[in-house]
Amino acid sequence: MGAHIVKTYQEELDQLSAEVVLMGGLAEAQVADAVEAVARRDVGLAQSVVQRDHKLDELEKDVERKCIRLIALRQPMADDLRKTVAAMKLATSLERTGDLAKNIAKRAMVIAEAEPMTPLTRSIERMGKLVSSRLRDVLDAYKAGKLDLAQNVWASDTEVDEHYNSLFRELLTYMMGDPRTISACTHLLFMAKNLERIGDHATNMAEHIHYELTGEDYVEDRPKGNTLNSIE
Amino acid sequence: MDKRKSVWNVVPAGGVIGMVALVGIAMVPVLRPFLIYAALLVVAYTMYKYLVIIGEAEGRIKALKLPEKQIKVQPQGPSFQEVLRAIPDPVMIVAGIEPDDIAGRWIVFANTAAQGLFRMDGEGGLLVSTIRNPEVLECVDEALFGGISTSTFYDLAGGARDQIWRAYASPLPVTGPQRLALLTLRDETDARRMERMRADFLANASHELRTPLASLAGFIETLRGPAKDDEKAREKFLDIMATQAERMRRLIQDLLSLSRIELNEHVPPSGEADLTLAARDVVDSVSLMARDKGVSLIIRAPKPGLYPILGDRDQILQVVQNLVDNALKYAVRGSEVTVDIRYDLSLEQAVAGSNSGAARLVLLRPDRNVHDFYAQVTVRDAGPGIRREFLPRLAERFYRVEGQKSGDKLGTGLGLAIVKHIINRHRGGLVVESQSSVTSDAADVLERTPNEKVATLPAATPVTFTAFSACFPQARAYGLGADTPRLVISDGVSRDLKDAV
Repeated sequence: MGAHIVKTYQEELDQLSAEVVLMGGLAEAQVADAVEAVARRDVGLAQSVVQRDHKLDELEKDVERKCIRLIALRQPMADDLRKTVAAMKLATSLERTGDLAKNIAKRAMVIAEAEPMTPLTRSIERMGKLVSSRLRDVLDAYKAGKLDLAQNVWASDTEVDEHYNSLFRELLTYMMGDPRTISACTHLLFMAKNLERIGDHATNMAEHIHYELTGEDYVEDRPKGNTLNSIE
Repeated sequence: MDKRKSVWNVVPAGGVIGMVALVGIAMVPVLRPFLIYAALLVVAYTMYKYLVIIGEAEGRIKALKLPEKQIKVQPQGPSFQEVLRAIPDPVMIVAGIEPDDIAGRWIVFANTAAQGLFRMDGEGGLLVSTIRNPEVLECVDEALFGGISTSTFYDLAGGARDQIWRAYASPLPVTGPQRLALLTLRDETDARRMERMRADFLANASHELRTPLASLAGFIETLRGPAKDDEKAREKFLDIMATQAERMRRLIQDLLSLSRIELNEHVPPSGEADLTLAARDVVDSVSLMARDKGVSLIIRAPKPGLYPILGDRDQILQVVQNLVDNALKYAVRGSEVTVDIRYDLSLEQAVAGSNSGAARLVLLRPDRNVHDFYAQVTVRDAGPGIRREFLPRLAERFYRVEGQKSGDKLGTGLGLAIVKHIINRHRGGLVVESQSSVTSDAADVLERTPNEKVATLPAATPVTFTAFSACFPQARAYGLGADTPRLVISDGVSRDLKDAV
């Protein structure tokens, strides 16, 4: 600890959100790398994703500690309190996102040993890109404190669901066609499910940002992609 | 640190001299007036010294947050900041104090290019709120605290508008607690894109050309052997071979044009084009083909020539052309293909579908907060429709909807991919809506389960259709209401145009 910096309350709050953004960057990279590891059958990349996951866990703990400290020492009120609580919740969501990315990477290592199934991994890649972009949008919204950006993420959850359903169907067709692919397809199915859940986390985060900025919960129901028919 | 220590050196020293003076005042009355002056002088000097040191310390703290002052302006000519600002590549100076304080890195300077790239509000701010890529942050840390120059690739993703930059971080010599590093970025999108394009082109071309090539080779074999003297068979085979050769030619053409578009995808077009004119030109060029198929083509649009959109005319033309070609391919005899053009739509309106009951999917969503108004072209056919579960893969290259026969439909499987890439380059959007007569298996399940929504399902087979809506950013708002006179052009294009005008 070299220099003395007089840390103000505001600085502490800023630092908290900066750390959450940092976590977000890490989570984003984890998801992107995990998906790339699937697409390129890159075992090395998958391994590094698995190894890097602990960083997110540590950061989450750190953010949580800082939040508790801030609540205890500064007793934040109103928007400061919401900011603190939102930071804690976002950190949890991001940590979960990282776990899901790690799981995708682990499965990537398994399917890299099986026969390549390019059309299917390409679908995973496409879905991964979509989910990554939602994660990016929600983090941008958090960083800039922009409500409309967060709402946009919140409202477009159906797209991920559509992709998931389409992929689900594709995988079923594959498995029915050739039972030897069942093992690999199951892994791909779980990957798709993980990606879908990362998308849900992005939606959750958008809700937390909404809460942070307005102090109100989302009262509407989530726009769920109706998986069974075309009624919207 | 040393400054702070010197505060403590100066204050006691002044104090001691002052005390001696006070004692002197008390003990030696003769020296009193002289000593009072001396004491006052010492106190004044001590205070001055103290203030100077404190001032320096404060300056130092300020410099920590804004070391911009340390990159001092030269006596004459432009300052270093001005020079840096003028550099076209993004350049930033990052400061940090403690390696443990992971979020504590500040941007103390960012040049104009960097501010533009990251949409920064000013020259400063926390580094993580601008760049959160862990690899770049690691590079910066290494430069700050390890004193090593490193570089890494930095994917600045923006949907498919990916940009690939190379980030270089190098330490700057500074004394004192805070450290500085220089972060420069160089755009390597073109080089990387070229590389990927070449690989993609080879993979696609070799894969897709294999089938027609095999068929050609087979026919050549047959013509040389068994069918050598069979006049009728020879004619027939040559016809097929010509078709296959034609297919190969179109395929290569499409692949090349796709590659070209992809190469420029990250550079938005700078010109202006007229959507209505483009649509009219396309309809003109395909009207003969439509008449042969017994399909009537109808355009509904405001008058041309008044409402430009931001775009490259040739590429806009290609979008409309591909969408209309597609519609004609799947339209049944006696049906209509309509081209609707609307202006002044908000982003939400532009990506919202028209029909509530049909399956809808946004294949490409425009960036928020970039443009306010969009012009939309919707091409709709009354074909068999596409089932909901096939929608997400539509714009994928070489994707064919399951069960769709490609025999009589002469397509390369690249039309929609080209459309999507062009629209992406224009920062526009693409939405597909479709009603298919074939309900999906999932919907069958639903119909059997008791659900209040079942009641809203239309009892009769719904009218099937497929509609693609492409939207492009407008140069400005035109204030066109719903009741703006619309030009309707159908079938015999020029004649009806005259009537309408």
